Amino acid sequence: MSKQKHNPMIAVTISIVPGLGQLYNRQFIKGTTFLLLTIAFVVSFYQFLNIGYWGLLTLGEIPGLDDSRVLLAQGIISLIITGFAITFYVLNLINAYKEAVKIKHGRKNDDLRKSFKDGWDKSFPYVLVGPGLFLLIFVVVFPLLYMILLAFTDYNLYNSPPKNLLNWVGFENFISLVTVPIWRSTFFSVFSWTVIWTLVATTLQIALALILAIFVNDPRIKFKKFIRTVLILPWAVPAFVTILIFAALFNNDFGAINNDILGPLFNQAIPWMTDPFWSKVALIGIQVWVGFPFVFAIFTGILQSISKDWYEAADMDGASSWQKFKSITFPQVMFATAPILIMQYAGNFNNFNIIYLFNQGGPAVRGQNAGGTDILISWVYNLTFETQNYNMAAAISIVIGLIIAGFAFYQFRRTRSFKEEGEM
Amino acid sequence: MLNKSYVSAGFLILVFSIFLSACGPQREVTQNEVTQGEPEKPEELTLWAWEDTKAAFQNIGDKYTEETGIKVNVVAAENADISLDAPAGRGPDLFYETHDRIGDAYLQGLAAEIELTDEQLKGYQESAMEAFTVDGKLLGIPSSVETIGLFYNKELVPDPPKTIKDINEIAEQLTNADQKEFGFLNITSDFYPTFPFLTAAGGYVFGENEQGGYDTSDIGLASDEVVEGAEIIHSWHENGYIPESLTYDVMNGLFRDGKVGAIISGPWGIPDFEKGLGDKLGIAPLPTYNGEHLQSFLGVKGFAVSEYSESKYWAKDLGLFMTNAVNSKSLFEDTKRLPAREDVSIESELYQGIQEQLQHAKPTPNIPAMAQVWEPMGDALVFITQGENPKEVLEEAEASIKEQISLLGGNN
Repeated sequence: MSKQKHNPMIAVTISIVPGLGQLYNRQFIKGTTFLLLTIAFVVSFYQFLNIGYWGLLTLGEIPGLDDSRVLLAQGIISLIITGFAITFYVLNLINAYKEAVKIKHGRKNDDLRKSFKDGWDKSFPYVLVGPGLFLLIFVVVFPLLYMILLAFTDYNLYNSPPKNLLNWVGFENFISLVTVPIWRSTFFSVFSWTVIWTLVATTLQIALALILAIFVNDPRIKFKKFIRTVLILPWAVPAFVTILIFAALFNNDFGAINNDILGPLFNQAIPWMTDPFWSKVALIGIQVWVGFPFVFAIFTGILQSISKDWYEAADMDGASSWQKFKSITFPQVMFATAPILIMQYAGNFNNFNIIYLFNQGGPAVRGQNAGGTDILISWVYNLTFETQNYNMAAAISIVIGLIIAGFAFYQFRRTRSFKEEGEM
Repeated sequence: MLNKSYVSAGFLILVFSIFLSACGPQREVTQNEVTQGEPEKPEELTLWAWEDTKAAFQNIGDKYTEETGIKVNVVAAENADISLDAPAGRGPDLFYETHDRIGDAYLQGLAAEIELTDEQLKGYQESAMEAFTVDGKLLGIPSSVETIGLFYNKELVPDPPKTIKDINEIAEQLTNADQKEFGFLNITSDFYPTFPFLTAAGGYVFGENEQGGYDTSDIGLASDEVVEGAEIIHSWHENGYIPESLTYDVMNGLFRDGKVGAIISGPWGIPDFEKGLGDKLGIAPLPTYNGEHLQSFLGVKGFAVSEYSESKYWAKDLGLFMTNAVNSKSLFEDTKRLPAREDVSIESELYQGIQEQLQHAKPTPNIPAMAQVWEPMGDALVFITQGENPKEVLEEAEASIKEQISLLGGNN
């Protein structure tokens, strides 16, 4: 067989069975290893994958004997294993093709030691990343897939495994979320409060941080370090402790805010815990308190890095303080921190802790089945653990996930634009 | 290159279709044979208990081992884990459960039906058996019962109030809110201890259907009789007998310190109150209204046989042994749980009041839909105490319960 006749297409074609292509390329050890690995894979995983795919398609056939939840999990693991297998399979095809091309062009085979060394050098980064990636797939990707698939089943209290089998219902859950009146009204009222909560609470905490950072950064202020330390203190206390203490302070009858501040001063008691409007006010106030120090710390750092020359030049031109703020300080600060601020919005969108710890999404609202301050994520918690409506909870989680993904996507866009424009 | 990717895509489809064409497990459905008489004894039985009853159950289990030679392994576990552990073969043979959770266990197919002979049924309280019955199937063997009673401070209230009128009188006499002294307290925002008063004139949670089960479309919590009860509750707040944001911590603390004449509580509170009040603690049944006894919720705890147990016969046998007259009595001595039996008498003055009230207690509905009742009713009670129109509020609560139940997926 002359070198010119060596055909890469044949190498690829007979690589349908991994290893044969390598054997054709006269890489006998590599070829045999591939072949053995393939046989080992098929022998050891065939039964598992068979049940896995069957389970994923049918979710079981005999109630009581087949547990749909377990079959679903096995199906997802089968998908992941198949993903790995396909990756290696494609790599095998590419490898067979490339080696065949090399031989065709008259290159001699590398000796074994050199090819091992090359292989090790090339794959070294993957070896390092591998364990982490493996863990990530089973700790993050697997539960995520499980949740996503649950959204397309009919898993609720009255259709609970192991007694019953789950069924695929397509997009039915998503459709009932926006068409069935009771779901729709609750979903939209909770969703609108979630959006208001995210916008108002986050914007206020950023605004407060900006104002305080500018004040503290003013050259006329003394004891800067002390003031900064005090302002960062709320960050040092764990958020859940702060929230629980605030919940006690806001208690209508026994809390200090009504008893010791509003009572004596204004002879008033505000129903913080029992009136939805005042609960919302209290929650936004607490979130501003808990959230501003982080943004404040970042702003302070950036303000110090803005060149003094710009302000001097502005002074020469006779700019007012407001003009300086509007044209120098504000753009500089926002430009540098936009990605972090966007993630602040995303974080508040899913801020379960504060809603749940303050008063479990309450108070009750007449004629509505979610609480007055429930945001999407705390509503999902209720659906899962109180009413065991797993399918709807999963469907709403996907909606939440898509919105957060939107934030994250926008953030990455901003980060990149920042990097590119920053090279001026 | 383009050519090549077509080829490899073709291969992938081929590989996929090989997997997909595989047709799942090959197996035959086997019917469990019904064996007559005593099946072979297993080596050991696993009983899932709760942390606080583990030791007491192990003692009784050891006696069972002496009698039958079957080892009893009592594990402190979370019943929520049964749903995944039992099908995987790591579950219990017998598990300790409250009757209001048994409907859930039944829906998930975790609790096996228990068939008892008349001989075996003898001695158990009928209402306790009823509490463990879902769709006409007995799913648990009752072990202990509990309900609420009127706890009073003998020093402040020498004679326990017999009627709701008496209660209003002691509240009027003893309440001095500025001094944090009260005549009568109850957590009116909680449906459980307030249900007897709300339904003083009549009313029910779920009506009965033809099969003797619960009819979730028939909720009896907004009738005129219930409105009458709601007005009693509202009057307590209107007259300042009960402060609006009263919590269990505050109420129990005040009662323990001897500042309250009477409260509504259950046997779980006795040890704590005894520490503070000693001999001054008295317990009476709930008062009457128009000559009728108030009806409280009955809670039953018992043993359910796991559907996945390989020795159901012996699991049931162990369940019967755990709850027989002798062991029920020893369970009361160890853990102060009142036996769910008629043929055991408990001589304890303190528990006398609770036992009397048990005569007028009806099981909390054991269907999962009941879980949707607590919150809307609790909210409704809060609105009632705030003085809103009881009829409107109760009708809204009913509608909300029905809505929640239909959200559960029960109606489709």
